[in-house]
Amino acid sequence: MADEKKEVKPKKRMTATQAAASIGPMVKEFITGTLRARAEGKQKIAYTFIVCHHEEIFRAMDVVPVWTENFAGICGAKRDAERFLQRAESLGLSRSLCTYALCGIGFDQWREELGQMPPDAPWGGQVRPDFMISSGQILCDPRSKWYQASQQFMPDVPIYNIDLPYPLFQRDRDHRDVWDYYHQYIVKQLRGLVTFLEEQTKKKMDYDRLRELVDLSDRTWNLIEETYDLRKAVPCPMGTGDAMNTMVPINFMMATQQAYDFFVNLKKELEEKIAKGEGEVENEKYRLMWGGGLPAWFALTDFNYFNSKGASFPVETTYRMVAPLNQMDIPETKDPIEHLAWRWLGYWTFWYDKAKKRPGSEPDVERLINRIEEYKIDGVVMHEAFSCRTWHVGLIWQLHQLAKIYKPIPVFVTGKGGKKEKIYRELPSLILESDIIDITSYSEVDTKNKIDAFIETLESIRLNRAA
Amino acid sequence: MAFVLGIDIGSAASKGILLNDQGMQASYECPSGGDFKLTAERIKKELLSQTQKSEKEISRTVATGYGSTLVAFADEVKPDMVCHGKGVSSLLPSVRTVIDVGDLYTKVLHIDGHGSMHNFLLSGKCAGGSGRILQVIAKVLHVKVEEIGELSLKSKKRIDFSTGCAVFAESEAISRLSQEVTKEDLLAGLHRALAAQINSLVERIGVEQDVAMVGGGARDVGLVQALKEVRNQDILVPPNPHMTAALGAALIAMEGLKDKIET
Ligand code: SF4
Repeated sequence: MADEKKEVKPKKRMTATQAAASIGPMVKEFITGTLRARAEGKQKIAYTFIVCHHEEIFRAMDVVPVWTENFAGICGAKRDAERFLQRAESLGLSRSLCTYALCGIGFDQWREELGQMPPDAPWGGQVRPDFMISSGQILCDPRSKWYQASQQFMPDVPIYNIDLPYPLFQRDRDHRDVWDYYHQYIVKQLRGLVTFLEEQTKKKMDYDRLRELVDLSDRTWNLIEETYDLRKAVPCPMGTGDAMNTMVPINFMMATQQAYDFFVNLKKELEEKIAKGEGEVENEKYRLMWGGGLPAWFALTDFNYFNSKGASFPVETTYRMVAPLNQMDIPETKDPIEHLAWRWLGYWTFWYDKAKKRPGSEPDVERLINRIEEYKIDGVVMHEAFSCRTWHVGLIWQLHQLAKIYKPIPVFVTGKGGKKEKIYRELPSLILESDIIDITSYSEVDTKNKIDAFIETLESIRLNRAA
Repeated sequence: MAFVLGIDIGSAASKGILLNDQGMQASYECPSGGDFKLTAERIKKELLSQTQKSEKEISRTVATGYGSTLVAFADEVKPDMVCHGKGVSSLLPSVRTVIDVGDLYTKVLHIDGHGSMHNFLLSGKCAGGSGRILQVIAKVLHVKVEEIGELSLKSKKRIDFSTGCAVFAESEAISRLSQEVTKEDLLAGLHRALAAQINSLVERIGVEQDVAMVGGGARDVGLVQALKEVRNQDILVPPNPHMTAALGAALIAMEGLKDKIET
C-alpha cells in the first residue's frame, strides 16, 4: 500500500481582508456540519459539484450538499492530499486524471474499507453520502466518471446525473436562435433532479421556498458583482489571494443568508479600506489579473510573494462564477426552475455579443480584455494545472489570441533608421505550471524565478512606457 | 577604474565575466558541480587571478542563473532571462527575440533595443525541448557533447525521431543503433526533433526579428542548423553564446555602478 504519511504543513497565507481571514472557520464549520448531519440522520446528504446552478434546489429540499471538489481542495491546501492520491493510484487510476477526483476516490475507498474516517482525516473528513449528483458538463469527464468510480466502494449509494449544456460561440450565429431548445432541455434536467430528490427525501418540493431561495441567490449574485467591482480602486483593497478564500460563499454557499451577509460585510470592509486609501500591498506598483486556471492550493503563499514585489491582483476570472443579472438578456419568468435554466444560459453566453463586435475575439478573450480595461491591468498571470482539463484547456490559446488582437501599451522604440518611434505592445503574461493539489508537480524555485523575471518585465515596460 | 563581475550559476555549467569601462577583461567557465557557493568562489578567484586584481577592486557583482541566490558575495541577483537580454543586445543590437537553450529549460524572450525584456515564455518542467537531451545522447553514442553538432551536419539520411522527450529519446536512440543507423543520421534526427519542440515554444510567444540563439544549446551547430531549417529563417548566434547571461549580469552591474555614482 502507498506511503500514507502526511506532508509538511504549509505556511499560512497573509490575507488583506478580515472577510478572507474568516473563511477558514466557515469552511471548517460546513465540513463539521455535514458530519453533524450524518450523526443526526435527519437530513439527506449528497455529493455534488460546484457551478451547476442547482444549490437552490438542494437547499429547498433540505438536502446537505457535500462539495467533493472542495474537500479535495482542502486536502491540497493542508498539504495532505498525497496519501489519498497514492491510494487512488494503487487502485489503478492514473496520476494524470483530475487530482480532485483521485483524492476523493482515494479517500472514499479508504473510509469504506475502514468503515470509519481515515486517520487524521482533514477537518474530520468527507462524510458518506446518501446519494451522488453528478453533472455532465462540457469537457469535464470526472463530473460523470468520478462518482461512478466511488460507487464501486459504495454500491448502495445511487447516482443521479444532470446534463447542463449551453450553446457554443459561433461568430456568425446568434445563440438566441437556439437557446430555447437548450432551455427546455435544462429545465427538464432540473425537474428530473427535483423528482429524484423527492423520491430520496420522501418530501415534496416547496416551490414558494424555492422561489425565495432563487431570489436570495440572485440578490447575492448582484451583490458579489458590486463588491468585486470595488476592487477597481487604486490601490486595490483586495487581491486574488483573498478571492481564493472568498470564492467559498460564491461556490459552496449560494442560496444561504450567510453567503449574502458575508458579501454585505466584505463590501463594507472594502469601502472602508478604499476610503482610507488602504491597498492589498503597501506600495502598489503593478496591477495583475489572474487570467485563468485553478490555483495551486498548497502554494497560495505565492500570492504573498507577488505582493512582496509590489504586485496586486485586483481581478481574476477563476471562481468569479457570477455575472450581473441586470445585464443579462434573459426572459422573465415566475417559475424558479425556468429561471435557474435561463440564468445558466445567461451566465455562459454573457460575453458572446461583445466578442462578436471585436475581430478575432472570443468570449473568454473578450472577458480578459474587458477586465484589463476596467481594472487597469498591467499584466496577466495564468496557472496551468495539469490535471484539470476543464478549466485549463485553451488558456494558452487565449493568451496567444489576446496578444494578437490587443496591444494596449504605448512604448517608444528606436526604429530601423535610428529614429524614435511610438509602437503598441501586448500585455506581458506569465504562465505558472503545476497542479491544483498534486504537490509533486510544483517547484518553488522555478515558480519564484518565473515571478522574478515577470516582475522585471513589468518594470522594464513601466520605465519605457510612453506617456 | 571600476571593475565589475557577472556570475551565472547554471544547473550544468557556471560562467563568470570580469568587465571594466574598456570591455571584457576576463572570462571563465566550469561545471557547476554540487556546491554552487563554492563554484561561485572558484569563478571569482579565477577571474581575479587572470587579471591580477584583488577582491577589493571589484566594485559590484551581479549573480544570475539557477544557483544565483547562493552567490554570497553578489550585490544583486537578477533573473537569467533579463541578463541574456542585456548580454545579447550588447553583442547583436538588432536582435528582438532571444532563444536560450539551456540544460534544463528553453526560454524565449522578447527584448527592445536596450536589451530590456518585455515578454517571455519558458518550457515546462519536463526536460524535453531543453539541452539535457543532448547530454543524454552524447553518453549513449560515446561522443563528446561538443562533437555532436559537427557530426550531425555530416548526416546523409536523417532519421525521424518520434519524440523530443529526454527519457524516450534515449531508449529510441538505443533501439535505432541496433538497427545499424549511423551516429550522424541519428544525431541529425534528434536535432530535428529538438528543434521542432523549441520552435513550438517560439511560436507560442511569436517572433520579432532579428532572432538570436544563446545558451549551451547554441554552441551545437547541428541544433542551430536544424532550428534554422524548421523555422526557415536565419538565426544569429553571438560569439560564446553560453556566456551571454554572465555578460548581461556584468553589464547590469556596471549600470548599477553608474546609477550609484549619478545619485
Ligand atoms: S476536471 Fe476540473 S472541473 Fe472537472 S472535477 Fe476535476 S477539477 Fe473539477
